[in-house]
Amino acid sequence: MITGLAVAAVIAASLIFKGSTGLQWILSGLTVGSIYALIAMGFSVIYASTRVINFAQGEFAMLGGMLIYTFSGRAHIPTALGFVLAVIIVTLLGAGFERVAIHPLRKSNVITMIIVTIGFSIFLRAVAKWVWGSDTVPVASFSGDKPIRIFGASLVPQSFWVFGFTALAVVLVFLFFNRTLLGKGMRAAAGNADAASLVGVNPSTTSLTAWTLAAALGAAAGIVIAPIKFVAIDVGVMLGLKGFSAAVLGGLGSAPGAVVGGLVLGILETMVAGVFPSGYKDAVAFLILILVLLVRPQGLLGKRESVKV
Amino acid sequence: MGDGIEKHKGPANVHDYRTLLLVAIFVFTVPLWAHFIPGSVIHMDIVNLMVLSGIYACAVVGLNLLVGYAGQISLGHAAFFGIGAYSVAILCTNFAWFPTWLGIAIGASLAGIIGWLVGVPVLKLKGHYLAMATLGLGEIIFILFRELTGLTKGTVGITSIPPLSLFGLRFDSDFKLYFLVWGVVMLMMLIIINIIRSRVGRGLRALHSSEVAAEAMGVNTSKYKTKVFVLSAVFAGVGGGLFAMFQRYVNPESFHFTLSILFITMVVVGGMGNLWGGIVGAIVLTFLPSVITALPEWIPVFPSSLQNFGNYTLVLYGLLLIVFMIFLPQGVAYGLSRGASYASTGARRLRDIWNARKYEGD
Repeated sequence: MITGLAVAAVIAASLIFKGSTGLQWILSGLTVGSIYALIAMGFSVIYASTRVINFAQGEFAMLGGMLIYTFSGRAHIPTALGFVLAVIIVTLLGAGFERVAIHPLRKSNVITMIIVTIGFSIFLRAVAKWVWGSDTVPVASFSGDKPIRIFGASLVPQSFWVFGFTALAVVLVFLFFNRTLLGKGMRAAAGNADAASLVGVNPSTTSLTAWTLAAALGAAAGIVIAPIKFVAIDVGVMLGLKGFSAAVLGGLGSAPGAVVGGLVLGILETMVAGVFPSGYKDAVAFLILILVLLVRPQGLLGKRESVKV
Repeated sequence: MGDGIEKHKGPANVHDYRTLLLVAIFVFTVPLWAHFIPGSVIHMDIVNLMVLSGIYACAVVGLNLLVGYAGQISLGHAAFFGIGAYSVAILCTNFAWFPTWLGIAIGASLAGIIGWLVGVPVLKLKGHYLAMATLGLGEIIFILFRELTGLTKGTVGITSIPPLSLFGLRFDSDFKLYFLVWGVVMLMMLIIINIIRSRVGRGLRALHSSEVAAEAMGVNTSKYKTKVFVLSAVFAGVGGGLFAMFQRYVNPESFHFTLSILFITMVVVGGMGNLWGGIVGAIVLTFLPSVITALPEWIPVFPSSLQNFGNYTLVLYGLLLIVFMIFLPQGVAYGLSRGASYASTGARRLRDIWNARKYEGD
């Protein structure tokens, strides 16, 4: 129902803002929103299995972007190969961090684990600064820069790569959680960790898989958006902030919620930027976000949790 | 979030007041001995770093009351700190006659009022949704600092903020400001100790362990949560005002999301829900970067390849944060108190052994 409402709102908005401008906003919004959705899925997957908010999620995207710059911009490795290499490196980092820091801390309180992820994000940013310096670097588009015109709105070809990758990632994540034994086990563990471990879902595997998946999603997001937004070592903070906002907006811990949250936040932001002075764009977006939370404290697609005493 | 909370035994505990006195004596004697350590030995300015620690501590002790005792998270306290700082900066640079102490008072009140206006609706949210809402609030206020250029001069920032003067005294050096800042922190600790001992404090602990149960027992949870939120906002506002007069310059970047995160990190590293955690966390994390930078000077064998590694400060900072959490999840303040109790037990053992020897000798 909420999805229906969102779609209706989008259609209404495109009618109100008369044709091409509205469509332009929605298409640009969907591009940014797809990236937020990918990062938000990372937040949600980790949250669902470990109750941790991973503050290093944005840094995974930053690393993805910087690595694709090195591979395709500097080393002239074919983009597809560079993409795979970058995702593998970031994924290994994420999985390694889970084994070294999150797994040993699994019994301690959640805030402690969250602070550890803050430490990890500072560490990753510092290492990135050492490797790449603090300049903003350009990344070549996957297939040229000639804008494509659709019904009066224009869109860079990279946007289609963004849509494609996001759709692919959503489908893969959906299949993983609904068709594989490991994925189903993870859903069970997210619902009730103790009951799931009684029937043989290993919490250690669950946590490692969640981090691996989140790192891969983050890296992919950073890589596909790099040609549109440029990359610098500090982009992770803002991407993480927006990804977290999107995850909460959609309902933390719900993968479909993360996608809806990301897309809604992206469109909202672009529309706000079209109406208000650009400096205030984030302020208005956050204000709407807070208002949404006050009306629906469990997020758009989240389920209201019953309180146990 | 229930772990690491101090269990208070009985209401009439003079222990905390005694600790406050000891901490105050220690803190106020620091400049006396720090003055005699030559800078060429330690490679950092202890008094200067301690003033900054104290300023951060103002915000952190209040936040610790909110997070550690009431169990409510805030990722937006940099906003209140910034409101305090900008109030002082705007009032005292535009009106030369404006008493600087009044600037701090107005900044703190404004932070409190905004804290109340925001707290009443937002504190209905729980857990990560509250975190998200406070984060958004911090972001909105940060953007206002940046965009209301007529008032705040935008990203350029406000320069030549006058130093604090009070009763004809001008706090224009680190040394003078030191005593004022830490005096304020000690006053805040006194207030916090009294709150924790009171009916409100017991209500807060009940609320932390279970909001529903507390409400069923007649604790007005939303009133208590709002009170603590406003108090922590006021404390952060005071800290911000002092910050403006210490730096003599403010710009929006100082009050971004990263500062809110730093505050929360200080709470957790120091010891969440530990009375002294806020102060310890503020000192540890303010000194850490300087200590790391000074490391190569202290340890001659420090690999020279690392000395050229310009960002090793932040790399080590991130790693140490992780290490702290893995080995001292209850916080450094807890570690210190355990260390002290081991030391006193050890001393007692030694004395017993010594006495036993003496009697054997007789």
